[in-house]
Amino acid sequence: MNPEAIIDTYVTDVVRRLPRKQRADVAFELRSLLAEELQGRADDTGRPADAAMTMDLLAAFGRPMDVADRYRPAGFTIIRPADAPGFARVALIGVALQWLISLVAVYTAPMDATAPGGDWLSRLGTWWLTWGLGSFWWPGFLVSASIIAALVSARRAPKEPAPFAVLDRDRVNRALIVLYLALAAVGSVPIVAIPSIATWGSALPQPVVQAFTLDGEFLTYRAPWVLLLWAAALGLAVALLVAGRWTRVIRIASAVGDVVWIALLAWWVAGPIFVSPLADETTRGILALLAVGIVVDLVFTVRRIARPIAAPVS
Amino acid sequence: MVTDVPPLAKYEQDLRKGVLVLAVLSQLRTAQYGYSLRQALAEQRMPIEEGTLYPLLRRLEAQGLLNSEWRVDGGPPRRYYTLSTPGAELYRDLHESWGSLASVMNKLLEGPQP
Repeated sequence: MNPEAIIDTYVTDVVRRLPRKQRADVAFELRSLLAEELQGRADDTGRPADAAMTMDLLAAFGRPMDVADRYRPAGFTIIRPADAPGFARVALIGVALQWLISLVAVYTAPMDATAPGGDWLSRLGTWWLTWGLGSFWWPGFLVSASIIAALVSARRAPKEPAPFAVLDRDRVNRALIVLYLALAAVGSVPIVAIPSIATWGSALPQPVVQAFTLDGEFLTYRAPWVLLLWAAALGLAVALLVAGRWTRVIRIASAVGDVVWIALLAWWVAGPIFVSPLADETTRGILALLAVGIVVDLVFTVRRIARPIAAPVS
Repeated sequence: MVTDVPPLAKYEQDLRKGVLVLAVLSQLRTAQYGYSLRQALAEQRMPIEEGTLYPLLRRLEAQGLLNSEWRVDGGPPRRYYTLSTPGAELYRDLHESWGSLASVMNKLLEGPQP
C-alpha cells in the first residue's frame, strides 16, 4: 500500500477532530512532517519506505484521537477525579432506585393476567419502554448539572483563594444561625395559633376557619410532641451558636433529631391532621415532602460525622 | 500498601516533561521547522517524540510564544517557528528558574546520602 495514502488517511483522521479553521494548515504541516519522518527512517534503515514502516511511524506517533488532544489546549474538567466514584455511585443508585420502585409498582398494580398486556412479560416490556429507559434521565441530569458547575467554576479567577467554608466545612455562620432562630420564632407563631383559630379567628371567613380546624385526635395525641422537638432544635441551634462550628457531638445530636422528626412526620401523615379533606390531603403531602427532605439531610449529616483520626495499625 | 513500581523510563519521561517547553524554546532562538527541531534536540541527547513535539509547537504558537511562517527553500513547503517577543521573555525567565532549580537539585543530590 502506498505510504502517502496511509499518511493522508491518518492526517485526515487527526484534523477532523480539530477546530475547522485550523484543519487545513495543520493537515498540510503534519503530512509534510510525517513524510520527512518517514524519509528519515528510510534513510536510517537503508531501504525505501513501505507500508509496514509507515505503520510503525504512525503507531509511535499515537492514535489520531490522542494526537488531536495534544493539539488542543487543556480543556476544563467536568467531573474531578476525586468526585468520579461518588458521581458514579449517585448516578447508578438513582437509576437502580427508580427501577426498583417502578418495578414494584408495575407488578403490584391490579391487572388481569389474561387480559392483553397483562402477563408478566408484557408488563416488563411496557416497564422497560417507560420507566426502564426513562430512568436514565437521572445520569443525564447529573452530567448536565456538572457541566454547568464546571463552566461556572472555569469562569472564576484561578487565583481566587478558597473560601473559609471550603477549607473548614464545619465552621458555621453565626449571623445565619441568629437569623434562623429569629425566623423560627416568627414562623412558629401562626403554627401555634392554628389550634385556637376558632377563638381568635372569628373575623375570618367561615370556610377559612373550617379549613384550618385540626383533627381532635391529632391535636390531643400527635401534635404536642412537636413542642419537644422544637425545643431540641432550639437547643441544637444554640449549641452551634456557642461552639461556632459543627462538632461530632452536635452532628450526632442532629442526626438523632432527624430520625425523631422523620418518625413524628410519618406518624402525623399516617392519620388525619385537618378536618377538611382538602386541607388535610394538601398538608399531609407537604409534610411527606418535608420528611423526604429530612431523610436527605440525615444522609448528609451521617456522612459528615467525622470519625476520630486513628493512628495507623502497624 | 505496596503498588507496582513503574519502570525507570516512566520516571525519566516525567522528568523530561518538566523541561520540555524550555528545551524547545532554547532551540527556537533561530528559526526551525518541526523535523529539523526534533533532529537538533535528538542530536543534543534530548529526544522528544514526534507525536508530542509537533502539537506542542502549535500550542506554543497559539499562546503567542512562537511566530511561524511557511517557507519554500528548494524543497517542500515547511512551517518555520521562532520565538516571539513574549516567547523570548518567557525563555529568559525559565532559563533563570532552571539555573536556580538545577543548583538546588545539585545540592540535594550531592548532600549526605541516606
